Amino acid sequence: MSAYTEGIITLLMINAIAAMGVCLLTGFTGVFTLGHAAYMALGGYATAILTVKYHLHWLPAVVAGGILAIVVAYVIGIPTLKLMGDYYAIASIGLGEAIRLILENWQSVTRGARGYPGIPTFTTMPVAVGFFLVLAFLLFCLLHGSYGRMFKACRDDHIAAALLGYDTARVRVLSLVLSAFYCGVSGGLLAGFLSFIQPVMFDMLKSTELTAVVVFGGLGSLSGCLLGTTIITLVTELFRPISQYRMLIYGAVLVIIMVLRPEGIMGQYEFGPKLFRKLFGRKAPAQERR
Amino acid sequence: MGTLLQQIINGLSLGSVYALIAVGYSLVYSILLFSNFAHGSFLVIGGYSCYFALKTLGMNIWLAGGLSLIAAGVSAILTERLAYKPIRERTNVTLYLLIASMGMSIVIENIFVVTVGGRFRALPPVIPTDPVNLFGLATTSAFDLISLVVAVICLGGLQLFLTRTKWGLAIRAAAYNLRIAGLMGVNVSRLISLVFFVAGVLAAVGGIFLSVRYTLYPQLGGITIKAFVAAVIGGLGSLPGAVVGSLILGLAEMLTAGFISSQLRDLVVFSLLVITLLFRPTGLFGKSVGEKI
Amino acid sequence: MAFALELGGVNKFFGGVHAVNDMSFILQEGELAGLIGPNGAGKTTIFNLVTGVYDVSSGHITLFGEDITNHKTYEVVRKGIARTFQNLRLFASATVLENVMTACQQHHRYSFLEACTHLGRWRSVEREIRDRSMTLLERVGLADRADQIATTLPYGHQRRLEIARALALEPRLLLLDEPAAGMNPEEVQDLNRLIQKIHADFGLTILVIEHHMELVMEICPHIVCMNFGALIAEGDPEHIQGHPEVLKAYLGEEVEE
Repeated sequence: MSAYTEGIITLLMINAIAAMGVCLLTGFTGVFTLGHAAYMALGGYATAILTVKYHLHWLPAVVAGGILAIVVAYVIGIPTLKLMGDYYAIASIGLGEAIRLILENWQSVTRGARGYPGIPTFTTMPVAVGFFLVLAFLLFCLLHGSYGRMFKACRDDHIAAALLGYDTARVRVLSLVLSAFYCGVSGGLLAGFLSFIQPVMFDMLKSTELTAVVVFGGLGSLSGCLLGTTIITLVTELFRPISQYRMLIYGAVLVIIMVLRPEGIMGQYEFGPKLFRKLFGRKAPAQERR
Repeated sequence: MGTLLQQIINGLSLGSVYALIAVGYSLVYSILLFSNFAHGSFLVIGGYSCYFALKTLGMNIWLAGGLSLIAAGVSAILTERLAYKPIRERTNVTLYLLIASMGMSIVIENIFVVTVGGRFRALPPVIPTDPVNLFGLATTSAFDLISLVVAVICLGGLQLFLTRTKWGLAIRAAAYNLRIAGLMGVNVSRLISLVFFVAGVLAAVGGIFLSVRYTLYPQLGGITIKAFVAAVIGGLGSLPGAVVGSLILGLAEMLTAGFISSQLRDLVVFSLLVITLLFRPTGLFGKSVGEKI
Repeated sequence: MAFALELGGVNKFFGGVHAVNDMSFILQEGELAGLIGPNGAGKTTIFNLVTGVYDVSSGHITLFGEDITNHKTYEVVRKGIARTFQNLRLFASATVLENVMTACQQHHRYSFLEACTHLGRWRSVEREIRDRSMTLLERVGLADRADQIATTLPYGHQRRLEIARALALEPRLLLLDEPAAGMNPEEVQDLNRLIQKIHADFGLTILVIEHHMELVMEICPHIVCMNFGALIAEGDPEHIQGHPEVLKAYLGEEVEE
C-alpha cells in the first residue's frame, strides 16, 4: 500500500471518529451543533503541548486531549443545554468561535495564530485504525441498548421522555460530553498526523463539514455517518485540484439532502439484516421473533 | 470625556447597522419560528451588487443602492422558494430548515469566492467619511452619523409599514399564528415571500454600510453572527428587542475596543451571549412559545 | 395510611386566565377514580400540575404522603407516577416494543461500561427488559405488532401502546388522559375492560380523565367533576348523574321565558 493511500485512510479514520461524536449528539440526541471543531482544537492543542513541551507519550496525551474536551464540554454544556433548538445552535457557533479566539490569542501557551509546529508524527495508519475500531465498537454497543433508546427518546419527544422519568437536560449533557471526547481524540490524532496545527484548521468550515457529513449519511444512523465520512473524505481528496469548490459542494450537499431526502442516505437504518431485508426481501412477516 | 462620547456614537452607529440585520432576521423568526442562517448572505449580495453597480456600471450611490436592495430582496425570495418552501411543506421539523439555511449560507458565500474571488474590495468613496465636529464636544466621522440616520429612517419606515399598511397588519397577525392568519384569508405564500424580501432589503442596507466600514469580502456575512447574538439578547422574535440588543452590542463592542483592547471585542460579544443564555434565555423582550401538552 | 394523591387548594393562573381554581380532592390508595368536566375545564392542567409540567400558582400536592408541589417532572415520575396523553406522545422513530422498553429499562439497569461493551450483565438485563416489555404488550393485545414502527399503528392501538408504556414504569399512580378519545362505542367497551383488568391485576391507583360519560360512569366508583377550573361535584356515579351543577355544565341552563 502506498504512503499516499495510507495517508488517506489515516485521515479518513480521524474524520470518522469526529463524525461519530457529532452523529451521537446531532443524529441520536437531536442537538444541532455547529461548533464541534472547537473540541477537536482543544484535543489537538492539548496533545501537541503535552507531547512537545512535556514529552509525554502520545497515547496518554491523546486521551488527555479527549478528557480536556470532556471537561470544557461539561462546564459549557450544563447551562447551555437547557436551551432548545435554535438557541443552542447559535450558542454552539458562538462558543466554537470563542474557543478558537482564545486559542489564537493565548500566545504564550498556544503560540497563537501562527500555529504549533514540531508535533511528533505518531499517528500512523495502524494507530488511527486502532483508535477508530475501538471507539466505533464502544459507540455502536452503547447506541444499541438502553442508552441508545434513551438518547432517541429525548430526541423524539423530550416531554414524553421526562414523563418516563428521564432528566433530559442531563441526558443531553452526557451526549455532549461523549461527543466532545470523540472530537477531542480526533483532534489529538490529527495533531500527530499533520505534525502542525493552527487554530484556523478548526473553524466554521470544519464544524460545518462535520455536521454535513452526519446529515448526509443519515441522522440516526451510525453506519450512515461512516458512509458519509468516507464519501466526503474521498471526494475531497480526489477533487483536491478544485478544493476551492469544496465548501460550495458541502453547502450544496446540505441543501439538496434537506430538500430531497432529509433523512440522509441511510435514514434510520444501520448496515445489517434489517436493512438487507428492506432493500431486497419481501415484507417481513408480522409475527417475526428476533 | 471626548473619547467616551466618540465611542458611544461609534457604538450606536455600529449598533444601528446591526439592528438592520437583526430586525430582518427576527422578522423571519417571528413568522416561521426558525433561524435563517443564510441571512448574512443577503448582506453580502447587497454589498457586492452595490460595489459592481458603482464600479462597473458607474451609477451614482442612490441608483446603486436601490439596485442592491432589490437584488438582495429578490435573492431572499429565491432562497426561500428554492430551499425552504419544499422542506416546510413536507415536514415541520425545524432542524431540517436550520441545516438547509446553513447550507444556503455556505453556497451563496462560496459562489462569490469562486466567481469574484476572496480579496478585499473597497467601495468607491461615495459615502463621506470626513471627520465632523459635534458641538465642540467630540469628533466623529460623517459616516457614523449617516449610517445612524439611515438606519433610523429604515427602521422607522419598517415600523410605519407594519402598523399602517394592510400587509403590515397581515405580517403582525402571522407573527402570532401563521396558520390562523392563513385561515383568515391571508395569502401565506405571498406573505412569506414579502417578509423575506423585507429582510433581504434591510440586510442589504446594513451590508452596504458594513462594506464601507470593513471593506467588502465574501465572508463579511459572518458578521451576521453578531446580529444573531443581538437578536437573542433582545429576544428572538421581538423586533424592538432586536434593536435594543443590537445597540447594546454595538456599544459594548466599541467601548471594549476603545478602552480595553481591540482583540477582546469579539470575546465580549460572545460573553454577552453566554450571560444572556444563562440568566434570561428568552432575552429581554422575547416571547417563550409554550407548547400545549 | 397516606392518601395516594392529595390536592390542597391548588390554583393555576396562565396570565389572566384562572385555569385551576382552588381545587382540592383526595384519592385513596387503590382507587379507580374519574375526573370529568366539559372541554376547557382544566382537567389536563391538573395532570400537568401533578406531574410537574407546570408549576402551581398556589396550593400543594402530595403523593403517598410526600409533597411533590412544583417538583421537576422526572423527579415526580420517579416517585411512582405514570401518565398517558390526550394527544398521544409516542416515540415516532421507535418500534412498538422499543417504546415500551424505553420505559421498562428505568427499572432494569446496567452500568455505562456494560452498555459500551455489551459484556457482563448486559445480555441478561436486555433480555429481561425485552421479555417484560413483551409481556406487557401481550396484556394490551399488541404483541403481534411488536416490531412495527409505533406511529404506523391504528389510532386505538397507539392508545393501548401508551398505556402499556406507562405500565412499564411500574407506577403506583396511573394517570390516563382521555384514553377513549376518538374511539367508537365498541372500542370504548374494550378499553373499559382493559382498565378494570389493569386495576385488578396491578393493584394500582388510577385516575382517568374522560369526556365520554360511558367509560367513567361504568367503571369509576369515585368521580370528581370540574368546570371553569373549579370543583363542582364529587361522589359516586349516581350522585354525579343527578347533580344539578353537573347537568348545567354539560347541558347548559334552561332559559327562563
